[in-house]
Amino acid sequence: MDVQKKKTSLQLILWWSLPVLAVGLVIVAWVLFSANNPRLMPGPMAVIQRLIKVFEKPIAKTSLFGHAWASLKRVLTALLLAWTIGIALGILIGWNRACKAILGSIFELIRPIPPIAWIPIVIMWFGIGEFPKVLIVFIGTFVPLVINTAAGISMVDKINVDVGKMFGGNNWQILRSIVIPTALPSIFAGIRTSVSSGWTTVLAAEMIAAQKGLGALVTRGWQGSDMALVLVAVITIAIIGSLLAIFLSVLEKVVCPWKSN
Amino acid sequence: MPLDTKHLEALQQQWKGKQRKDNIKYFMMGATGIFVFLLIWQLVVKSGLVNEKMLPAPTTILQTLLYKVNNKPPDGNVLLVNILASLQVALSGFFSAIIIGIPLGLFMGWWKYADRFIRPIFELIRPIPPIAWIPLVVVWMGIGLKAKALIIFFTAFVPCVINSYTGIKLTSQTLINVSKTFGAKNFEIFYKVGIPSALPMVFAGIRVALGNAWSTLVAAEMLAASAGLGYMIQLGRTVARPDIVIVGMVVIGAIGAVLSALLSSLEKYFLRWKSVR
Amino acid sequence: MEKQLTKLLEAKNISKTFFSHKGYFTAIEDVSFDVYDGEFLVILGPGHCGKTVLLNIIAGLEEKTSGQVLYKGSPVSGVNPEISMVFQKLALMPFKTVMQNVELGLKFSGIPKARRREISQNYIDLVGLKGFEKSYPYQLSGGMKQRVGIARAYANNPKVLIMDEPFGQLDAQTRYAMQEELLKTWEQDKRTILFVTNNIEEACYLGDRIILLSQCPAKVKEIYTVDLPKPRNMISREFLDLRTKISGNTDLAI
Repeated sequence: MDVQKKKTSLQLILWWSLPVLAVGLVIVAWVLFSANNPRLMPGPMAVIQRLIKVFEKPIAKTSLFGHAWASLKRVLTALLLAWTIGIALGILIGWNRACKAILGSIFELIRPIPPIAWIPIVIMWFGIGEFPKVLIVFIGTFVPLVINTAAGISMVDKINVDVGKMFGGNNWQILRSIVIPTALPSIFAGIRTSVSSGWTTVLAAEMIAAQKGLGALVTRGWQGSDMALVLVAVITIAIIGSLLAIFLSVLEKVVCPWKSN
Repeated sequence: MPLDTKHLEALQQQWKGKQRKDNIKYFMMGATGIFVFLLIWQLVVKSGLVNEKMLPAPTTILQTLLYKVNNKPPDGNVLLVNILASLQVALSGFFSAIIIGIPLGLFMGWWKYADRFIRPIFELIRPIPPIAWIPLVVVWMGIGLKAKALIIFFTAFVPCVINSYTGIKLTSQTLINVSKTFGAKNFEIFYKVGIPSALPMVFAGIRVALGNAWSTLVAAEMLAASAGLGYMIQLGRTVARPDIVIVGMVVIGAIGAVLSALLSSLEKYFLRWKSVR
Repeated sequence: MEKQLTKLLEAKNISKTFFSHKGYFTAIEDVSFDVYDGEFLVILGPGHCGKTVLLNIIAGLEEKTSGQVLYKGSPVSGVNPEISMVFQKLALMPFKTVMQNVELGLKFSGIPKARRREISQNYIDLVGLKGFEKSYPYQLSGGMKQRVGIARAYANNPKVLIMDEPFGQLDAQTRYAMQEELLKTWEQDKRTILFVTNNIEEACYLGDRIILLSQCPAKVKEIYTVDLPKPRNMISREFLDLRTKISGNTDLAI
């Protein structure tokens, strides 16, 4: 009995100390690596100092929040467009076989091209203003939405459609009040993917050509050998990305309450 | 009237005929869709509605594609060299992610203490978009194969770990209990029950990893490279050759599609026990 | 027991064959029977053979290979608005509350909100789900979900109510309770019911008549008329005799 108890308390210590140990290890590794190679990697203190400096001396007359907002604004504009157009197109492709044959084949032709590969041609066409960046993010967010929506719609169980027919619904009623809500979890998966894909694509677009935005900060730090600035930007990017993911899981619970079980 | 065999045979033929006709009909619709798309593109360009210096016609793009097979200008490599350079980078990053990521994910999902230790580290790194690693990696390691492969590794690693982790966590407790009653050791259950039942999820992860790898590759090569498809389109932009850019995009898309088809057939082979009905 | 013998629905020589590239498979062969107005007709058949397909054909959800469905003497094709169905796999909409599920058909036919709330509430009360109007299906037990399905079918005000193994997935206790409830509901609000089951006891307990189907392909094997008064005593001599008789005539399903 005594032995048993000792073992469980040991296990308990292990259980709680392991995560702490892990995070501690990462920080120690970071400090040691930066102390030995200060030019390759700034230490935690240097990053914090650089963060304070970003606020004291704004880059391109814009504070860190301003840069973050510039990136977010691009993503949100593109997302609103992609949500409307992408979901509508996905419903058409998933619901109607003729639409699937015609539109789906054209979509399949364009789909395998990664969004980032569009950047050069979009810049050639539209320069480096706001519109081309929004367009690039739109391309990156549009594709997962169409795929997920179409898959969700076409996978709706036939019995649900039968229920609609049995209770006298016409095609439009069945689509609107049965098929689309049934596919909502899939559509939401598309929305989730579109957000993370949009957040990555906007960085790529900004890293290649932009004045404002977190991606522009990364490039600026990189070209000016200011690695602390790169890290400040990267950490901000990671934090905003996580916040977006959390926001989406909360939103999903609100939009699809029946899925919580 | 009862159904006699002869009547049914006739109905069967009728059914087959209708199926065939349907398939042909929808195939033709798809082909027409693509054809009309290309035709409008061609007409819009050739009629001068859109400047050919901005958007070359499909026929021009085909010419450039054929030209690039044997000629080096303007980017200094024939097409095949670019393709091989890109594949080398993408596949080395992708395979190292699979070799490291999948066992790590499975291990974390099966042994709780491993989970407690590795998970926090993983969660710290995960939210950083792989593209954001590019400057750091370039400063550390230059722009060689290793640096680019490392960037690809980051992007392919995350889905490999997450999916293997989730997959093995979903192993049915019933199967585990059955194995226990037959006296199997924990490790034996892990590789005889846990891994096979995680396999569908693992494959889904590999699929995402492949897509990520291929699209991040373009970013890596656009930012820092001297050969490869991403480099080719980036150079096409600097020398104002939209046909080169679009050829690059088409080739990237085509290879991406081929890789994904290869993965599908591999998946079919490994998951043949999971066939529908 | 007095019975009106008006034919409401007739199935005439219905056959159904499924085709695929490998060959064909006949699920139903030459099935004919009548459904009288106001009766509780049970279709009893073994295993997974043809019963759901037969119902879907009568309801107009599936094409038949040959034969006819007559409603009030004239042939029908497509969905018949006077027929409603309780589905085997429930098929409740997980994203709709109990109330929204029940009023689905009324909403489709454009009945104003206040009126359809009133009708739905009436049937929700009838099946004993008062107080659960705002619950989602995942918050309900199996038996309660099945009641929602029944209320939904009733609310559409059908002449004929088709029930496809509605209690198949319930545990034995709930099943008995639900059978009793169904009879009670039926006594209060009489409709013609076409009830499919693979459970002999359930068939004997509920049916005015029982149509026994054979193993694949499904054919009509025998039609029994049950004259025992309802509610029936499951351990009475007559009941057990009937049960044994049907049981001896049933094909074994593996």
